[in-house]
Amino acid sequence: MFNRRELVPCPMCAAPLQIEIFPALFRHIGPGRDGEALVIEGESSCFYHPQKKAVLPCEGCGRFLCALCDCELHGQHFCPACLEVGRKKGKIRRLENQRMLYDDIAMSLAVLPLVIFYLTLITAPVALFMSIRYWNAPRSIVHRTRWRFIVAILFATAEIAGWGIGIFLLTTRFHRHG
Amino acid sequence: MAEKEYRRLTRTRQRTAFGIVATGRCSLWLGMDHILSIETTGYTESYKRFYFRDIQAITLRQTDRWKYWNLVLGAITGLFGLIAVGWGRSEVVAAWVFGILTALIGLWLAINAALGPTCVTHLQTAVQTEPLPSLSRLRKGRKVLARLRPLLTEAQGPLAPEEIPARVQELIGVAPSANPAPAASPPFAAEDPNAPPRSAA
Repeated sequence: MFNRRELVPCPMCAAPLQIEIFPALFRHIGPGRDGEALVIEGESSCFYHPQKKAVLPCEGCGRFLCALCDCELHGQHFCPACLEVGRKKGKIRRLENQRMLYDDIAMSLAVLPLVIFYLTLITAPVALFMSIRYWNAPRSIVHRTRWRFIVAILFATAEIAGWGIGIFLLTTRFHRHG
Repeated sequence: MAEKEYRRLTRTRQRTAFGIVATGRCSLWLGMDHILSIETTGYTESYKRFYFRDIQAITLRQTDRWKYWNLVLGAITGLFGLIAVGWGRSEVVAAWVFGILTALIGLWLAINAALGPTCVTHLQTAVQTEPLPSLSRLRKGRKVLARLRPLLTEAQGPLAPEEIPARVQELIGVAPSANPAPAASPPFAAEDPNAPPRSAA
């Protein structure tokens, strides 16, 4: 029933299935490597496990690592600390698993409150600030242009200008009528 | 022009709970050596990468959701159409309202019918079985599978169809149990030579 180009009923529940399997399914996964204990005095030891023999340096910080602490990522070798820092700061792009979409937030803040116009008094400056502050911040990992920021800036500017003109007219009328 | 890092495999689709309530949007992208699954919650994006060399299996299971939606939408379209025709002479405004509703739901029905049967797609690696909500139509699923097949074969090597049954049998036979049964304990303390001494009272 595997790797057929049509639907085949499941032998258990008869649900129509198409299952494509690949050689990785049959690959044997061996046990994880253990660090080798130091036997000779003065031999290079692991930074994190002084009793274990160092096998290579971390490519991030240069610390010596034993086989247990060696984290391989696409041919590069890191210690767990560098891997964690790289993930948190987004330095290792392949480990990045979340991003904030500031352009979406700015656009929503500029456009959505138009339904209840009074909210724009607060949201428009915030949207304008976010658009400028995060203009160069990483957007989505898949190609995305800055058009949301541009829309947010245009709307927020128009809203702020509208509020400015409205307040100016109100104050001048108030002064005129004494 | 710089080459794009990711190419779109599927359009963004609502990830739904209980078939109705949207809980996020999902899409699938093709990278150089991996598939990228993006889940958007509105203001954040979460990424999952499935490397070609790690993918063990992709499963498409046909579901009846397509048929049920067609049935429900067809019934509503027919009902509203009948109401619109029935009120055509007496209640012109109501007839127009129901006429427009009939057209809109009819359009939804036509789109659903044209998209074809629905399916549930799962991607399996050595450590996870991940649903791919953006692959919810059988036709699209097969198209994506056809696009991925050569890439996965290139990364993992070919798998001859004639050797699959034997290797599957071997895998089932050799694979150790995920939860090994605990070592059988002796039923009585007297049978256990390592048991501490106890008083009879």
